[in-house]
Amino acid sequence: MFATLSRVVPVLMLGHFAASSALAQTDYFNTDAGRPIRVEDAYAIERRAIEVQLAPLRLERERGGTYRWGVEPEIALGLLPRTQVEIGFPMVHTEGGRGVRTTALAGIEMSALYNLNAETRLPALALAADVVIPAGPLGPSTSIPTVKAIATKTFAWARFHVNGQMTFADDKATGGTTGIVPPANAEFSRWMAGIAVDKTLPLKAMLFTMEVVTSEPLQAGAAQRFDVAGGSRIQLSPRVAFDAGGGYRLKGDEQGWFLTTGAAVAIGFPWAPRR
Amino acid sequence: MHTTSSARFTRRLAMLGAVLTVTMAPISPLAAQWSTTYEQFYLQASHNWTFRTHYQHADRLFNAFDYGHAILYETLWRFPDAPASRLEVDRYNDLTQKVLIKPPRIPLEEGAIEPKYAQLAPEAKVMFDWAHLLHRQLYDVLADERLSWAQRDVEVARLIRYYRSRPDLAFSSKPKSMKLMQEQPFSLAFRKKYPKFNGLIWGYHWLQMGLYEPLMVGTSRTEKQALMRATVARFFQMLQDVPRSLPHQMPMTVPVAPKFAARYPEAAIIFDNLHSMHDVVSDILTNPSVPRDRKRAEIMLAARRYRDDTTEVMSVPAWRVMSEHMGIENMGGPAVGFLSTLPTPTVTYGAVMQHDAETGAMTGFGSGGATTADAHAGHQMPTGPSDSSQVATLVSGFHQALERGDSSAALALLSPDVAIVESGTVDSLADYRSHHLPADIAFARAIKAARQPRGVTVVGDVAYSVATSATKGTFGDRAVDTLGAELIVARRVDGQWRIAAIHWSSRRR
Repeated sequence: MFATLSRVVPVLMLGHFAASSALAQTDYFNTDAGRPIRVEDAYAIERRAIEVQLAPLRLERERGGTYRWGVEPEIALGLLPRTQVEIGFPMVHTEGGRGVRTTALAGIEMSALYNLNAETRLPALALAADVVIPAGPLGPSTSIPTVKAIATKTFAWARFHVNGQMTFADDKATGGTTGIVPPANAEFSRWMAGIAVDKTLPLKAMLFTMEVVTSEPLQAGAAQRFDVAGGSRIQLSPRVAFDAGGGYRLKGDEQGWFLTTGAAVAIGFPWAPRR
Repeated sequence: MHTTSSARFTRRLAMLGAVLTVTMAPISPLAAQWSTTYEQFYLQASHNWTFRTHYQHADRLFNAFDYGHAILYETLWRFPDAPASRLEVDRYNDLTQKVLIKPPRIPLEEGAIEPKYAQLAPEAKVMFDWAHLLHRQLYDVLADERLSWAQRDVEVARLIRYYRSRPDLAFSSKPKSMKLMQEQPFSLAFRKKYPKFNGLIWGYHWLQMGLYEPLMVGTSRTEKQALMRATVARFFQMLQDVPRSLPHQMPMTVPVAPKFAARYPEAAIIFDNLHSMHDVVSDILTNPSVPRDRKRAEIMLAARRYRDDTTEVMSVPAWRVMSEHMGIENMGGPAVGFLSTLPTPTVTYGAVMQHDAETGAMTGFGSGGATTADAHAGHQMPTGPSDSSQVATLVSGFHQALERGDSSAALALLSPDVAIVESGTVDSLADYRSHHLPADIAFARAIKAARQPRGVTVVGDVAYSVATSATKGTFGDRAVDTLGAELIVARRVDGQWRIAAIHWSSRRR
């Protein structure tokens, strides 16, 4: 396993750092789900921004010794005021306990986030919708849509984010009356709720964050999951932000840990707005 | 779908919402707190970040200035009862002794520095951010040597169109009377309570406008960089004898950066309005006569007035006259072509001049006054050859000659009786030519030092330049990672500046 990783990871990391010389901009302060933690803030990327997540890497290890790593290149567009749409192409590599290896596309993920307001005394609020479309051998068996509500509240000493997500999983996703969830759907949850706190070192353009997330698996009767995670985001240049983090599943059927790292590059729309 | 789970989730979500509402939103008029302002990406162009690439030190200073503005607002808003020393001593020293000396390398997220102020008036924060983006993009255009002046004009017009495509954020490009800034019920509170910090902010604004001028005047990148160093050094000179050495009036673009204001008046007006509103926000936050629950409303009102094209508008000719009559010597002096000493202000610190609304001509003082009998007339600074910029050019020319390996050019800049003090020895010109010069050239060609100019001081026909540097790389098979200091003394003989003495020292990091 690690022989494989030792070949793959440096290549991915090289991709991250090569990106820092590209023309673009991004913002370490505007957190994004999965970069590095799942709970995100209530702000969309800037209008007319294009943000490219270059080969964000995620490595997971379940308690049984199964490794799973993936890269999820994504592109987000600030199409409208306070609105971003995003599309991602997660590629996953799994290694089973008996040496069974699979590398494949794990669906196509499309999402939209709409920020309702900027933070004042009121927290910043946002709504997001997401659908993972079945595509590739490791994709879900059916389209799995979710909706999410997000709140961000800033105190002088730290910033808090609360996310609540609900999945509209139908019988095809959950296995229906058989109660057996297709393996490719196992990572999805019926609902998820999480809270994160982050602390910024503004002169160093660096942010530290941690979260606690709980979720209920699609599998009927499966134990509720409790995950903790933490990480950091740092602005490497006006155009490139880098993130890294890790987490641990405290409770649930598939306990284990994960590590993630990635870089985001942003550019503006190449055309001027209509007058 | 499992209905039971969904129902349970819905209940939990509702509970979560209730908790959020109770804990995160103190009772307040909710409508007044509902803000839908949003940020927008800068206009994508080939010149993006050119200024940062070629004028690194000046660019970083703007990051420091952003920090200074943000920490000011946050402090004023969060600690209204703090003693004046909190800003005048603690914050001021922190900014001038740390942040400006080692400015941040990348633009900062101001929301992380001023989180509570950003909550108070997110619309005003985004307005400032949007104008600061225009600043940076205009520097890029003027710094891009690939563009002709005609192309720069087109790009500047395009950037201003883009800026004005956000009328909810854009400052008006009509000149505004100083009444908006100086004759409101809350006006002058900041400059009176915090004169030193106010002067520092005016110094920031002087440099923010002043740096356009080297980019306008210089004919090559080398010359622009030399002029830029001199202008930056001039800014630091303003910090040497505060508050006397700080600007006594808000710097206006017309006198500080006359070539820029003449060629791009729309941008100059936008920036004067921007800097004016910075002062207004400081006054609103400082003045206890504006209750805390009214401060957001007052800031919103001021923001609207600075965005519209109708409130307290002056004609462009009147704006020019008003700017000149405020007195360049009261604003820190011109950004290029200045004399070695700072100009002597002709008005008391923060004096309020009154101007005729039609002509812009000064009519008298609202508060404060003149320091000389005819102080408010003829405010033109005497202009002459810029000694400090010539010395800065001399010093940078010497280093560039070493980096090129051009020993003749380097030696030509040294006085015949030069003394070069280095590593415990004192070399004459002959010693240096035969011993250290080849080694210095080899070293300069192998590793490019990152120099941070500290300033040029001219005293008659003698001047000294002080700089520090960081050097990292490999020389031969030796790894080098040092911090260095340099003192160069220049002397003017027959109108020509030549290096009379050099002292270098360094230490390992």
